[in-house]
Amino acid sequence: MKVNILFNVHSLPVDYDQISKLYDCNKDKFFETVPIQLCEWFDANMAAPLGAVLDLLEDNLNDIVFENIRHGIKDILQRNGFLSHFGYPHQADGYGTTIQYKKMKPDDGRYFREYVTTQFLERNELPNMSNSLRKKMIEAMLELFVNAQIHSETKHIYTCGQYFPTRHTIAFCIADTGIGFKQKFKQRFDKNISAVDAILWAIKDRNTTKINISGGIGLALLSEFIQLNKGELQIVSDDGFYQYDCSGEKTEKLCKRFPGTVVNVLFRTDDRYNYSLASEDNETSLF
Amino acid sequence: MNPMTISVFNLVGDGFCVEAKDGDAVFNAISKTLSEDKLVEISFQNVEMLTSAFLNTAIGQLYKDFSEDKIRALVKVVNIEKADSALLRRVIETAKLYYKDPSWLEESARRIMEEN
Repeated sequence: MKVNILFNVHSLPVDYDQISKLYDCNKDKFFETVPIQLCEWFDANMAAPLGAVLDLLEDNLNDIVFENIRHGIKDILQRNGFLSHFGYPHQADGYGTTIQYKKMKPDDGRYFREYVTTQFLERNELPNMSNSLRKKMIEAMLELFVNAQIHSETKHIYTCGQYFPTRHTIAFCIADTGIGFKQKFKQRFDKNISAVDAILWAIKDRNTTKINISGGIGLALLSEFIQLNKGELQIVSDDGFYQYDCSGEKTEKLCKRFPGTVVNVLFRTDDRYNYSLASEDNETSLF
Repeated sequence: MNPMTISVFNLVGDGFCVEAKDGDAVFNAISKTLSEDKLVEISFQNVEMLTSAFLNTAIGQLYKDFSEDKIRALVKVVNIEKADSALLRRVIETAKLYYKDPSWLEESARRIMEEN
């Protein structure tokens, strides 16, 4: 039986490809065992896309078996609750650096609200961020959840993250197994474009695939916030990869298709920008 | 004439006004008062978090059914944080453009196909 090896998984295009390849190699299996090894390193936030594809494989009644997980990886994935979904006991997070892995239904909006509240508002271990930064971060996550809820047509939404105290960053990842940007564009405009172009189109302010209601602000807002925060935004959908950071935009066609969408965000927690003041609205009439 | 006050917090039942569908109750309440040509005050008191998706449904949609002049004359927003007000302004500007000419989205889609 061929063992699927995920080796040194960070949050790079090649790493999304590793996860997509794992799915691609096993997607036609039914009632089989799918053995997986996690070697060298695994970015905790990448548990979200991994959980998403493993769920698809489990839908075919395959048995996911983790073999020989490197100690450090096993430790973090037990502390963030990911491995609890695959037969391992949950471990308490003594370091207070995990952002828990969660799988929820798209209509679980209240549950997601509880999740961000407990993970980001009610935790003393997180750095002393300004209230305006914390609010911006949480609103960004809520926008991402609602985007997946409205557009993806997914069965479940998967989230996970990690706090890196020494790097002053929080990684947050949200994944789904829905139809993706490219297919959504095709559905709305009856035109085929590449996955990269579909992402580029969607992040432009006011572009939306919704009908009879305006929108298209959520991703543009997120992108503007990431620019001010000097963070990083990645979007993977189908075989499209998009990244925005302080060095600019980067796109890439991935080797394998991801069966859904992943949005991975890196927020800087040492950001001293005053978002309340900066976004003050001094004009009189809103309408 | 005293305006009717609509509490967003009360209609949603929560300080997190996030989901698009939660905006429907606010939209319906404002629509009813506008249909009766009554003044309405939308209060954001106790609202902690807002998303554009919620505001698109709650307020942006008004521009589908009512004229800009009518909305400007009859609707007032109170107790809103300044950062939230900036978000609402953006939602309103987007809605005005969208309902004025929804076909511009088709144009935008055509452009991305031509560019690449």
